[in-house]
Amino acid sequence: MTHPGAPVDVVGVGRTFAIGADEVVALRGFDLHVPPGGFCALIGPSGCGKSTVLRLVAGLDRPDEGTIDMDGVSPDGMRRRQRIGVAFQDPSLLPWRSVAANIRLALELVGRRHEHKAVGELIELVGLQGFEKARPAQLSGGMRQRVAIARALVTAPDLLLLDEPFGALDALTRQQLNDELQRIWTARGTTTVLVTHSIPEAVYAADEVVVMSPRPGRVVSRHRVSFERPRTRELLLTDGFHSAVEAVSASLHRSERQVVQIDAETI
Amino acid sequence: MTTGVEEPTGQRDAPPWILSLLVGIGVIGAWELAARTLYAGSYRLSPPSSVVLEFIDNRGLYSRNLWHSTRSAAWGFLWGNLAAIALASVASLVPWLRRSIGAVCLTTFCLPFIALALILRVITGPGTGTPIALSALAVFFTTYVAALLGFDTAPGSALDVVRSFGRGRFVAFRRVRLRASVPAMFAGLQIAAPAAFLGAVVGEFTGAHKGLGILTVRALGALETDRIWVIAVLSTAVSSGAYLAVGALGRYLCPWVPALDMATVPAARQEPGLLNRLGALVTPIAVVIVAWMAFLWVFQLNPYFAKTPIDVWSELFTNEDAATTRSYVFGALGTTLWTTTLGFVVGLIGAVATAVAFILLPWLERALMPIAVALRSIPIIVTTPVIIVFVGRGLLTTTAIVAVMSFFPTLVNCFGAMRRTPVGVLDVLKSYDARPRAHVRNAYLPAAVPALLASARIAVPTSLLGATVAEWLATGNGMGAIMIIAYTQNNYNVLWVSVTVLTLVAVVCYWLVAVFESRTLERMVPGMSR
Repeated sequence: MTHPGAPVDVVGVGRTFAIGADEVVALRGFDLHVPPGGFCALIGPSGCGKSTVLRLVAGLDRPDEGTIDMDGVSPDGMRRRQRIGVAFQDPSLLPWRSVAANIRLALELVGRRHEHKAVGELIELVGLQGFEKARPAQLSGGMRQRVAIARALVTAPDLLLLDEPFGALDALTRQQLNDELQRIWTARGTTTVLVTHSIPEAVYAADEVVVMSPRPGRVVSRHRVSFERPRTRELLLTDGFHSAVEAVSASLHRSERQVVQIDAETI
Repeated sequence: MTTGVEEPTGQRDAPPWILSLLVGIGVIGAWELAARTLYAGSYRLSPPSSVVLEFIDNRGLYSRNLWHSTRSAAWGFLWGNLAAIALASVASLVPWLRRSIGAVCLTTFCLPFIALALILRVITGPGTGTPIALSALAVFFTTYVAALLGFDTAPGSALDVVRSFGRGRFVAFRRVRLRASVPAMFAGLQIAAPAAFLGAVVGEFTGAHKGLGILTVRALGALETDRIWVIAVLSTAVSSGAYLAVGALGRYLCPWVPALDMATVPAARQEPGLLNRLGALVTPIAVVIVAWMAFLWVFQLNPYFAKTPIDVWSELFTNEDAATTRSYVFGALGTTLWTTTLGFVVGLIGAVATAVAFILLPWLERALMPIAVALRSIPIIVTTPVIIVFVGRGLLTTTAIVAVMSFFPTLVNCFGAMRRTPVGVLDVLKSYDARPRAHVRNAYLPAAVPALLASARIAVPTSLLGATVAEWLATGNGMGAIMIIAYTQNNYNVLWVSVTVLTLVAVVCYWLVAVFESRTLERMVPGMSR
């Protein structure tokens, strides 16, 4: 079941927040382009506005300047058409609902309750068989994140927005969930934007890694990542992967705008 | 990260107090207008201008009586809180006594204050003994719960440090637990301040020489509407002033801790299983019977009016006219329970509905919430006379008072819980463009359930208290009425029977709500309820 996915075009977006009497410029002149079915990772120092980008694209917030467009539809329009799936660092599950009911919530909200079969498929896809009836409090952190991702996917959205969904987990669980995210993305082809702190995670998962500057956030560099898919853990041990990680890491410390082409075959 | 404080620049609302001020002026204007037109000459509603004039004309009378009541309340506040903190310390230091102490404290919370005021009046005579004793009792339970909660919140690592130096639980108590309890203690004292005033006024209802309580009873008898309103306004002002003052003191002394809301503290942990749950019911009753006997024995009271549990038992079951007493008392109890339950349910449902409205309509919340918070802090019972002159003296008066009493605390607590719904959950709902109804059903209502149940539990004894006060002062039905009749006829058997029955009913109802609360929370979120 492959979905076409929506392209994302963010042009010249700025966003300023009032916190008390102060004004904080979170984003200024921010551009982003993700092709249909593409996987883009946003990386940058803490407080550089990564999450703000995601909230703007999700239609949860509005930019003060610039435009965001997805195949001719505004983020608000996408949200109203219920074509977005989101998962945040905090899984934000409803504690009184079971695993299955939390995933079903998304279907209920978009008025497609009858597609409950998808819930079972997603539970299998994220590897939570046998925990359908468990409540969030009875799950580990990694399992809760799987529920959040399954909930984001169950409506088969055109756009998947992930805000550090594995941020609070241990390294081993993180890698495991990254593998699963890979698998799901390959199977579904949903346009995906992943916000993360981890350079290896970004390089492992994405077609393109976008490095952001400290606040006010703007794009410092874009790194095309063209390792073959499906990517496996062996990739983590290759020199190509290491040099890609180093390239992203170096540009995190540089402020000039640049585009670096990384190609596994050429190294 | 996402936070709730982000607001787009360039959109600055007027400060909230301006809106509250405007609403306040509007309410007073409407009140004046209604009193001058709709209710002109009806003795039901005094216009604010007459209230102010009445106060100025008789300011000497009011300040004397206010001073008198406030002094009683202050003494009660002092003694009640000292006793509560002392008992909480014992409960913290001697764990095996904890359950029994808790049981006694809960029962003091469930005692029908009106009847107690009558009995104490007989024992202490016409002086300030009754108001002070009632004040002390009114603050006792909440402060006990708050202090114990404070002692329990002491960080385990700090306790371990004390233990690692070879010192015992007394040192740990003095050095760690006592300090750690200050914020929770102040949360309790803040609630206690208006409660102490309420206790003093109710204590004066039963025939003191001076004080706002007896002034109210006289004014009700003479239908002096202006005077009743002045007293209600004064009581409200003093109660909320005391509430704000203690709150400010607490924030000044420990500014690093967020304010703790006592009303959202869940019921004491109940071990699962029927036997344990029944134990939580039987223990208070057994302990109280022992305490009751001990009280009579220590003070060597005249058996003509000081009745023992055995007297009450025989009056209800073994005397020759026991059947008459039973039908008399239980008939009245039926009336009281019926009107109270109705008011209780109306108050709770209204509170949840209003909280939902506030969540969905922020302008409504900004306009009315400050008023609700202010009214929550005052004991509604001191304004009972006003409700009586306004609503009349029918059965519905009781219902109205109970509804108003349970409405405000529940509203404030449920709204607070709804507003604490995690931003992430709301973002998920919003990202699917969920309708307001879906927000309410999936997020706000479930989030408010613990607060609703805790409020309902706390509202059980206060509702019964409000109902008996209303019955006593106004309607002439139910338990409140038969107690005052028994008092005036020196029928102390019926008086003690009424006290016993009402206390039992309050304890059982409280227990039922507590069991329902812990079972519901356990079912909703297994492992979450304390």
